Amino acid sequence: MRVITKGKIALAAAATAAALVLTGCGGSAGSSSGGNSSATSGELNLIAYSGVWQDQYTAAVIEPFKAKYPDIKINYSSKRSSAEMLSALQGQKNNPATDVAIMDNSVSTTGNTQGLFDKIDPAAVPNLANVPEQFKNKGGFGPVVMLDAVGLLYDTATFPKAPESWDVLWDPAYAGKINVNAPPSLLGLSLTAITSKMEGEDYTKSIDKAVARLKEMAPGVQTFAPNPDEYQNVITGQTVLGLGQNARGQFYSDQSNKKMGVTFPKEGTVYQINTVNVVKDAPNKAAAQTFVDYALSAEAQTAFAKALFYAPSVTNADLPADVKDRVVPTDGSLNIVPLDVEFLSSARDKWTDTWKRQIITK
Amino acid sequence: MTVTQTEAPAARRAGAAEGELEKSTGRRNRRTYLALLIPGVLGLVVSFVFPLAYMVRMSFNKGAPDGVIEETFTLDTYIQPLTDPYYWRVTLDTFQMGVTVGLLCVLVSYPVALFLARSTSKYRGLLIAVAIAPLLTSAVVRTYGWMVILGTNGLVNSTLDGMGLIDTPLKLTNNMTGVTIGLVEIFMPYAILAMISGFGRLSPQLEEAAGSLGASKLQIFTRVTLPLSLPGILTAFLLVFVLSISTFITPRLLGGGSVQVLATEIYDQTTGLLNWPFAAALSVILLVLFGLIIAVYQRLTKKIGG
Repeated sequence: MRVITKGKIALAAAATAAALVLTGCGGSAGSSSGGNSSATSGELNLIAYSGVWQDQYTAAVIEPFKAKYPDIKINYSSKRSSAEMLSALQGQKNNPATDVAIMDNSVSTTGNTQGLFDKIDPAAVPNLANVPEQFKNKGGFGPVVMLDAVGLLYDTATFPKAPESWDVLWDPAYAGKINVNAPPSLLGLSLTAITSKMEGEDYTKSIDKAVARLKEMAPGVQTFAPNPDEYQNVITGQTVLGLGQNARGQFYSDQSNKKMGVTFPKEGTVYQINTVNVVKDAPNKAAAQTFVDYALSAEAQTAFAKALFYAPSVTNADLPADVKDRVVPTDGSLNIVPLDVEFLSSARDKWTDTWKRQIITK
Repeated sequence: MTVTQTEAPAARRAGAAEGELEKSTGRRNRRTYLALLIPGVLGLVVSFVFPLAYMVRMSFNKGAPDGVIEETFTLDTYIQPLTDPYYWRVTLDTFQMGVTVGLLCVLVSYPVALFLARSTSKYRGLLIAVAIAPLLTSAVVRTYGWMVILGTNGLVNSTLDGMGLIDTPLKLTNNMTGVTIGLVEIFMPYAILAMISGFGRLSPQLEEAAGSLGASKLQIFTRVTLPLSLPGILTAFLLVFVLSISTFITPRLLGGGSVQVLATEIYDQTTGLLNWPFAAALSVILLVLFGLIIAVYQRLTKKIGG
């Protein structure tokens, strides 16, 4: 038996493309300046999140990077989720077309074990020295580039004061006005862990109590897949409570004129951590390292924290007080429910299944 | 072969020549037809046969967590859904949704199609265009439209609330009700088109004849119009059924995660859990379901002489 990745799919796609070329549809073969060893010129293929994240990251980090290195051309390939990024990278494994990937920690850990990423060379990425040990990868792979956490979204008209406990999700007064993203979304997986902890359970062993509790919440949930997204649902008044990321929540809170707020309830929350990774056998490795170094610079970290409220992962980023108050604290002051990435990769399937079969009601 | 100049009667000679001419034109035509088929067949092979074969092969692989695919030959991907009551329920729900949407869609489209088919107005073309115009808008946009209309603060609920008919908003989205309403509207143009083209044998003369022989309007409808329009109705039902059970966008967006059908399950397995072999197996099961329905349809159309 052979273990393969989706390389064959890429092959299939290539065959299809070849066939299309043969039938006269034409098309240009993707090329990369692989031979270029200079770190300040060439091409760079980045894979990262889509939507508002892409907009803000482009404005806060990519544009200044381009201004600094005008000879490096950046191709941004956007994906809706880290899982989709992983899938794309698996498909390119034998013939990588991506240089740098910014994705969720739990997914990049999988990528590391699957041999999709390279170790980071501290000499080529001097700013790695500013990343504290806890945010470095123990195996020397891509470090944490930004942090966020799961927050509780609330309608400020209904809640003039932010709810203090996750228990509000079970309050019958708000039944039918709640949106919860079910697993495999990280939000739903996090809520499972948080509920388990609230019930005094060790979720690495069992989530039975959490499931029983979540079942009580389920009939009051209006949607398990909010559209267009969890934030707009609260902003438009479709719901009054929801699960969301703090960073985007803060951003949309401003966008909506504070119609929606986001808070960290006292029982704790789960970090959402993004790492920056260099793809193994990246076609433009030098440019990739230059980019990773820039992404870890105080300048880039501060700019993105101001733009989208992600907490920096480096020690030398100095945030203005009003931004600092709104990014997730990384100094230990926030009650964090640890969701071990390796555990999560084995639990994702099971928890998703459990939600579908037992928790989500029609 | 050439025409031989022998002492055979002139008439025979002429006939033979004609036959030869016909044969060679026929051959030429056949060759032209075959040549004309090549681009289409090639396109089908590249865009349909090849991916389908690839999907079937994929369904026998083994999916490990986190997207690694083990190339092997296992039936586990089929045994799992076929022995799991959850997937039976999902399949049954998918089937039920298809039947419900198909029936409702036929019900609301039939009068429109009948009117359009029989209309002698000079605006008939325009009216048909208007009836199928929604096809020009993406199903995504129309689904979002329904989300706005059916939402808790949507048009329907705020109107009913304003009239004092309800206290708490009706739950019209994020469930099967919303998905059904959305799908029926989205597939109406297909049903209308299918019925208009299927009403071929329906002729006003037959209805007039029935009327002149003393049949009441109801009798004309039940004994003449309806039986003659049955092939069109069946085609429309089949089309809408097949479209409904394979649609993903509307169940996903209007279902709010609570509507689990085969298409949404395939999506979750593919993009969320990266278990492609399992997703491929579910797709094959869906395909088999299509095949069964089409077989039943062909039996039925033969029976009613469609």
